[in-house]
This record gives sequence, C-alpha cells and structure tokens, in this order.
Amino acid sequence: MMTSFLRALGPEHVGPIRARLALVLVVSALQGAVFALLVPVVAVLLGPDPAAVLPWVGALAGTTTVYAVLRALGLYANFSLGGSISRALHRRIGGHVVRLPLGWFTGARLGELNRTATSAVSQTMQVPVHIVPPLADAVVTPLVAVGVLAFYDWRLAAAAAVCAPLLWLAFRHGNAAVERNDAAVDAAGDEAAGRVLEYARAQPVLRAFGRVGTERSALDTALVAQHAAARRLLTRAVPAIVGFGFLVRLVFALLLVMAVYSALGGDLDAALLVGLLVLIARCIQPLGAAAELGAALRMARSGPDRINALLAVRPLPEPKTPADPPGSDIVFQDVSFAYGDGPDVLRDVSFTVAERSMTALVGPSGSGKTTVVRLLARFYDPTSGRITLGGADARAIGSDGVSERVAMVFQDVYLFDGSITDNIRVGRPGATDAEVARAATRAGLDPVLAELPKGADTRVGEGGVALSGGQKQRVSIARALLKDAPIIVLDEATAALDPENEAIVATAIGELARDRTLLVIAHRLGTVRNADQILFLDGRGIAERGTHDELLARDGRYADFLRSRERARGWRLTARPS
Amino acid sequence: MSAAAPARPLATLLAPIKGRMRAAVACQVASSALGLVPLVAVVEIGRLFLADAEPPGPGHAWALVAAAVVGAVAALAFAAAATLVSHHADNDMQLSVRRSLAQRLGSAPLGWFTAQGSGRVKKALHDDVSEVHSLVAHTLLDLASAVTVPLVALVYLFVVDWRLALVSVAVVATGVLLFARAMAGSMAKMADYAAAMNDVNAGVVEFVDGIGVVKHFGGQHRAHARFTRATDAFADFFASWSRSTMAPSVGSFLVLSAPVVTVVVTVAGTLFALQGWSAPLDVVAFALLAPALCAPMNVIGSRVQQLQAAGAAARRVTDLMALPTLPEGTARLPVGSRVVLDGVHFSYPATEEDTGNTEAVAGVDLVLEPGTVTALVGPSGAGKSTLAALLARFHDVTAGSITVGGADLRDIPTGELYRSIGFVFQDVQLLRTSIRDNIALSRPDAALREIEAAARAASIHERLAALPRGYDSVVGEDAHLSGGEAQRVSIARALLADPPVLVLDEATAFADPESEAAIQDALSALTRGRTLLVIAHRLATVTNADHIVVLDHGRVAQQGTHERLLAESGRYARLWAAQSTPDAGHDKETSR
Repeated sequence: MMTSFLRALGPEHVGPIRARLALVLVVSALQGAVFALLVPVVAVLLGPDPAAVLPWVGALAGTTTVYAVLRALGLYANFSLGGSISRALHRRIGGHVVRLPLGWFTGARLGELNRTATSAVSQTMQVPVHIVPPLADAVVTPLVAVGVLAFYDWRLAAAAAVCAPLLWLAFRHGNAAVERNDAAVDAAGDEAAGRVLEYARAQPVLRAFGRVGTERSALDTALVAQHAAARRLLTRAVPAIVGFGFLVRLVFALLLVMAVYSALGGDLDAALLVGLLVLIARCIQPLGAAAELGAALRMARSGPDRINALLAVRPLPEPKTPADPPGSDIVFQDVSFAYGDGPDVLRDVSFTVAERSMTALVGPSGSGKTTVVRLLARFYDPTSGRITLGGADARAIGSDGVSERVAMVFQDVYLFDGSITDNIRVGRPGATDAEVARAATRAGLDPVLAELPKGADTRVGEGGVALSGGQKQRVSIARALLKDAPIIVLDEATAALDPENEAIVATAIGELARDRTLLVIAHRLGTVRNADQILFLDGRGIAERGTHDELLARDGRYADFLRSRERARGWRLTARPS
Repeated sequence: MSAAAPARPLATLLAPIKGRMRAAVACQVASSALGLVPLVAVVEIGRLFLADAEPPGPGHAWALVAAAVVGAVAALAFAAAATLVSHHADNDMQLSVRRSLAQRLGSAPLGWFTAQGSGRVKKALHDDVSEVHSLVAHTLLDLASAVTVPLVALVYLFVVDWRLALVSVAVVATGVLLFARAMAGSMAKMADYAAAMNDVNAGVVEFVDGIGVVKHFGGQHRAHARFTRATDAFADFFASWSRSTMAPSVGSFLVLSAPVVTVVVTVAGTLFALQGWSAPLDVVAFALLAPALCAPMNVIGSRVQQLQAAGAAARRVTDLMALPTLPEGTARLPVGSRVVLDGVHFSYPATEEDTGNTEAVAGVDLVLEPGTVTALVGPSGAGKSTLAALLARFHDVTAGSITVGGADLRDIPTGELYRSIGFVFQDVQLLRTSIRDNIALSRPDAALREIEAAARAASIHERLAALPRGYDSVVGEDAHLSGGEAQRVSIARALLADPPVLVLDEATAFADPESEAAIQDALSALTRGRTLLVIAHRLATVTNADHIVVLDHGRVAQQGTHERLLAESGRYARLWAAQSTPDAGHDKETSR
C-alpha cells in the first residue's frame, strides 16, 4: 500500500513523507513502551510494597509525555499534508492526461477519470492521517509488547510470537478475498457512473422517444448490477473479516488460559499475573480494530492504485532536445496507421504539401481524411512510415513543437464553460485583450458579440451550448487566427450553417489561409477548384491525386464522387406522396 | 408536484429501512456491552488471585476465563450481525434512492440539465448517494457503541470507585469538548468542501470533453486551465480547512487516546491508593476499562469528515428529490394530428449570468394541418429551436397553449406524447447500447424484422448488418459510426416510432457532407405522408412547403407560401435574395 501511495505522489514527495512515516512508527513503538510500563506499575502496586511504585509511575508519566508530544507533532505534520497531496496528485493527473494520445479518450473514460480525480484523490489524502497511524498502532505496538512479555514470561511471549504470523496470514487472506470483490464493485460503480452521465446527456432524445422513466433502461440495469456486486461483496467480506476477529479472540483466550494456568500452578506471581493480563488486554484491543482497518486499508490502496494505473498509460514519446526546423512544408512518407488493434485506416500513404500551398483531402466517409489530419497534428504517431514538417520528423519536433506549427479548425468545435474571450484566448494564452478582439473581428464574430448581453464576456455554458454551430465555428477560427501558426488544418464542414453564417465563415477562413500552408478536408467545389493538389482517399490510401481539372479529365473516382454530391444538392423537402 | 425539501434529509432517506436499522443498532448495543465482559473478567480474576495468600480454587478461576472468552466471541457475533444487517439495508436504500432520483430527474424540465451540467447530475446520483453509505452503514453503529460502551463502563467504574470514576469522567469530558469544537469548526465548512469537489468534477468533464482543444492549443504539459484552477482551489481550501480545525482535532485525539487515558487514571489511582483512598486492585479496573470510555469516540473521530460529507450529501440528495417536475398529464390522449399553437409565450428561467429575462417566444399562433409541411425560417436566435423544444415539451409554455389532436401537451401522459410527435435532431445522440436497442428506443418490444425495415428505409441497413455483431453491435464498442451514419440510425429510430407529426431540423440533411445523399434519401422516406414542421436554414430546401413561417425575435414576422412571401418583399424576400447570390468561395447554389 505504501509503495503504491508513494508512487502516486511522485518522486519529489517521497523524501519528506518517508520522514513523517518514520515518526509515526516511533510514536507507535512509544505507545508499546507506555503499555509495557503498566506491567511493573501494576505488579509493584499490587505487591507487598506499594510505595515502591513511585519511580515506575514517574517513568510511565515521562514516557507518556514524550509519546503525547511526538504524536501531536506527527498529527500536525500529517494533517497539513492533505492539501499538498491533493495538489500534487491533481497536477500529476492533469499533466499526464493531457499528454495521452487522443485515442485514449473513449466514452467510458469520463466516468473513470472523474472517479480518479475526485474519490481516488480524497482516498489518497486520507492515508497519512487516518490509515497509517492506526495501522502502525496495530502492528508495532503489539510487537513491542511481545518483546516486553518475553522479559517477564517466556512461555506467554513464545505463544504470542507463534500466533503473530498466523494472525498476519489470516489478515492478508481475508483482505485478499475482499479485494477481489472490491474490484467487481469498483467496475460496477464505474459502469453506473458512466450510465448516469449518459442518462443526463441523452435526456433530449430519451424524452422525445418516450423513454421518460428509467424502466428497462441501461441506467437501471447498471444500478441493479451495482447493487448485486455490493451484495456479493458483503456475503464474502463479512465472513472473512469475522474470521480474523475470531482468531484474535482465540489468541486472547489462549494467552489468558496459559497465564491463569501458570498462576494456578504457582509459577506466576498473582500481582504479575494481573500486570501481564492488563498488557495483553491493552494490546489485543488495537488488533481487534485491525479488521475494520483492513477495509480502510483496501480503500486507501484503491485510491493510489487507480491513480497509478492512470499514470501508467503511456503518452507519446517526446524528444529531449526538440528539432526546430524553419520551413512549413509537409511530407507523409509511407505512412500507415491503425486505431488500436483495428484494421489499417491508412496504408503506405505518401504525399507532399509544399510551403504556402493548398492541398484538399477528398473522399467518402471513413476514407481516412480525419486520420491524416490527426496524424499531422500528432494526436497519434503513425504505426509505420514518417511525417516530416519543414524536413524534420514530427517525433523529433515533439508534440509541443507540432502544436506550435499547426493550427486546426475543428469540425466539432468544443467550447469551454467560460467567456467567449477566454475561449478565443485558448489559441494563445499570453495574448493581450486587443489581440483577442482583433482575432474576433477577423473571424466575423463582431455581429454575434453585439447581440449578446455581455458581449465577449458572455459565458457560453458547458460545451458551448449557448452558441449556434456557426457562431462556435467562428470562435474556433478566431482561436486559430490568434495562434498564428504557419500550417493550417481545416475541416470544411460548414454545410450545416445557414447561408448568412456560411458566407461569413468562408470569408474568415480566407483570412486565415493567407500566406500559410493549408491542408483542408474539403467539401466545397470552390475549395477543390482552387487547391494546388487534391488527394482522393478511399479507406486504404490515396486513390487519385492531381488538380481538379486533371482529375475531372481522368473521369475516375473523384469525378464520380463529385457527380453524386451534385445530385444531393438539388434535394428538397416535400411531404406530399411522391 | 413540487414538494418542499424535507427538514430532516437523513430521516427521509432512512425511513424505508428504519426497522432494519433498529435491529442493527440493537445488535451493536449488545455487542458493545458484551465487549466489556472480558475486561471485567480480568479484574475479577485478579481479585480472585489476590484475595488469599493461597492459590484459589481452579473451578472459580476457569469459570471467569470462560466468561471472558464467551463474552468476547458473543460480542464479535453481534457486531457481525449488526454490520451485515446495516450494510444490506444501506445497499438496498442506495438502489432505491438512485432509482427514484433518476426517475425524478427524468421529469424535471430539460433546462435543468443544461443549467446543471451532466457532471453535477452524476455527482448527485452517483457520488452523493454513495457518500451517505458511511453514515448508514457505519456511523449509526459507531454512535450506538459510543453511547453504550461508556455508559456501561461508567456504571461499573462508579460502583468500583466513585473518586477515580470522577477523574475518568473529567478526562473524557475534556476530550469530548475539544472534539465538539473540532466538529463544529469543520461542519461549518462542509458545504464549501462539497462545492470545491463539485468544481473539480466539472473541470474533469470539461477537460475530457474538450480534450481535442486542450491538446491542440494547450500545449502538451499544461492541463486545462479550468481543471487546474479547480484542483488548486480545492487544495487551498483543504489546507485552510484542516489548519483551522487542527488544534482541537489533535487535542481531542490525544486526550482520548488509550495511552493518555490509561496513564492519567493509573497515575491518579496509584496516588489515591498510596493515600489509602482506593484499593490497589480497583486501580487496575480503571487501567483496563477507562480507555473503553473513549475508544468509540476515536472511531467517530476518524470518521468525522465522512460523517459530515454524508450529511451534506444527504441534503443534496433530498433537495434533488424535491426538484419541481413538469406536471404529469393523465387526462387526455390526442385524437388526430392537428397541432395548434395558441398565443405561445416562453422565456428561459433567469440564470445568474443572464437576468435580462427576454422572451424567446413571444406570442406565436400557428396551426399545423395534418399532412402539410410547415417551415420555420429566420436568423439564428429567432426562436426556431425553442419553438421545436416546446413541442417536445422539454419546457412548458409560459403562457398560451399547444395542443395536438385537441389535447393540451400538459394533459398528455409524458410517456405517450412521442406517439404523436417525433423528432430528428441535428445533434445525434446514440446510446452506448446495441444498435438494435438504439433504433428501438421508442418501442423496446419491436421485432428485429421491423427494426431492419426501418434501417433499410433509412438507407443504413447494409452498413449495420456488416458490423461485427450486426444489429447487436454496441455503439462505441464494436460499432463505430461516422456522423452521417449515426444520423441515419437516428432517422431509423424516428421511422420505427412512426409518429403522425414530425419535427425536423433541416440542417440534419447536411450534417455530414460525406453522406448527404444517403441522409436525404432517408429523410425523404421519413417525411412522406406526415405532418411536418421543419426548422429550415436553406430556403431552397423548403420552397415547396405548404406554409413558411418567418420568425424574428420570437414573433411571427411573416407567413405564407414561397411565392406569396416573395411578392411581399419583406424579410423573407431579403433572406431569399441573400441566399441566391452565389458568393466567392462557394459552389453555385442550386436555385431552380
């Protein structure tokens, strides 16, 4: 548990925390000494000369004072740790997650990451205050007591020493049994959390289709499964914990019987008998509490474990000294790529985009256009082959360098819950207000801002719910303008916009594209006509390439594709029977 | 239907499991009392051995040993019973609270979800309900011990020696006072703790949802600013929180700890014994039993934080249970499919950000005759989407009424409305379940044959059949669909529901440029023969509509057919002119 805890915190925190943990051990040992001193105090007090007890009482009071001071110091130190632990953990989690390849972020991750950042972190924060001290008390204090016992009666000490490892084994065994079921409870909890999120997000569609309740829903199934997992845990955990508790009491009974037997036989002085029984009773108590502690311990471990599992997910490798090439031409050289273990989405794709030229990616759904763009932005590394920017491999430039060079205008624009200004400033966090305002103007946002109650300071809500599609896309363009990168990647999905918006967006994009290297997922005829190069993708690689006129003259896949798109454009709605 | 939030949130949550909790508490009380038997037995064994100079009769000694062992084992058995009963009761309660909470949220106005964000919903339904666990399953039992053990022990100790008993009481009282101060201090900040945690939650949701943007713009080593801000604020809050309660917390822990209590009574007892006030063996009784007075307090001490969190969580849960819901209609079912909007007004509830309470819909009269196409046009923000949302009863109108087939939407049972009005949204929402269940959303009992027929009509059957597990493939697991494909699944969904009235966002047809043609074929199949309300963005698509309604600032600015509206040379004519002019970057607009 402790290794997991320290690993989660990261190396820079290990040193100071180790020192605090050592203090905790010392305090528990002192507690053992305090209990041990009870034996001579009681034995002398009950003996023939009670007055002789005073020096022993002095020693007892002195040891206890040292114990209390050190315990207070330790508690103070550990209490103040909570805040720094949560900060350290959240920093590590945030800093790590942001480096993970985008492919990691599937639907179920949200619930999982949520649990990691909230409950796993608070569980970990509890470790130094609520877990470690009682654990040390349960282990170290009885050990010291057994040592003292040996001094007075070797038989009792031997019996206790034999029982200790047995107790330890039973404790571990019980814990392991519970732990296995804990994992199932955790998994069921993750699933339920994911379903709750889905339930909240899908409310519009659920309601529109009459699924107003939770009856027969995936959410209900997940909740029932969670309930069943918890039941199973109970039926298995309680016997395991009771089993350990029973053993502890058995040990107590054994020592009691042995001591009374010795006393009856006259081998043990009556006063000493009472003193030893006091010591045994004092030390059995924290042991009995250890069963409860086991549960806390497992919980405390699951927090750091969860965090460590997250931190163990491998990010893309980054170069030690990133290359910094001056140019902005793009070369894909025999690039292949597959998502996870899936089939190849791209196979041996090669193309070159000259500096300040425009290349259009065209092709049907699923042909790999988005994948090309993602590889360029280094959301993933290719499975084989290489991508170079300005002559240097993207892996040598590093994710930071690539992201400095490439500005993307996304198809699904995500806005953070903050003001519009904040959302534009994402493009370059250091930008001045004037620069942000200029980017907004060039992206055609001014009329939008004029209509909003607080202008650019209006908050947009989670996911940008308060803005329309066209407005969001303009924010995304403003971000890219502000970023001022030499390479622009553009997903030209403006078809869902109304015509007024579409014209504005087109102008803003024209503004953005000036003097830059441009890679466009193209949907408009105007764009492909103007492109210096068209790459027609078909799900395996580049099926055709050339300019618009060349490809039309060839009358192949590209020409076919254009014709079917033309047909779609003439579509209109009618409710009359056709 | 809105109920006031109950004054005692915990009592409300626990009401259904009251009987079982009582049984659990009774077991715990028995266990606590029995747990003292071994300690008393040890004292009595001492008394027996010290009474005479001669070794005592073995029968008597063994009887005391037996009493100690039986007491210890019985205490364990009762404690186990208490734990089992309370945990099962708690688990059952969690399920039923989660279920009724979900049910309740499902009938809250939809605007509530947008305002709260999905992270908050998850926090309430998942985290908060779990948080109550420690209270039900542990804290009540701890309280039972915390009362029983000191009470029984005190009675015994007072019988043994009242002077030393008073000393023990003084120690415990000091500890409890400090403890109460620590509790009060941290209790006051509990709500802030929950709020800080909430912000972390919201930060994570945004972080993951916006990860594309974060990664691309945020650089690789910087987590999303809001996440960082929320977690830093949490850490700062936590640090100041624990600083403010640290002194009394540490103090109470020390005063109530076993070594301190044992030593105080032992030292005092020894002095008393030397003065001749107390019998030496009675001092032993105190050394053994006085720590028992405080032991349960320490258990509670380590749970203070959980206990407080649970109380606050219980309050949030019961607050949500009391959330106002859209009144459930029971009275009427629609007859026919004529839709009438009569003087409809609607304004979104005021939020902290936006108190300027402008009406989104300001007095709209509109009739959708069966079998006709009505198009809503107008600039963004004119109220088109809000009007459509009102038809789905995502909100209730502020004034006026909407009727379908003669029945007011508010009178139609919520589970029935979808039989009359169907929707195809621009944002497709597929659930993480099988394709089959996704299509059969409105009719879970539909036969596979019907589901396939709907998919065929939506031009998506072949793609679905080719998935690894066909229609049983699960969205996001082995069914990875493109935007356009997902859109067609949603159209199949609407086809299967087969409502006579359909509300459609025309942008749907152009949502995914890759499969425009296929989506349009699917939409043509869907709209055939239905009463249609279209939210239109491209005027060219709806020139054939029976009725075109131009909305502006929530009001009907103009209405009529395409030809008539053109002739009026108003807003519509201007929009039309704007759209018919091909602009530079654009492909020629097809305007026949």
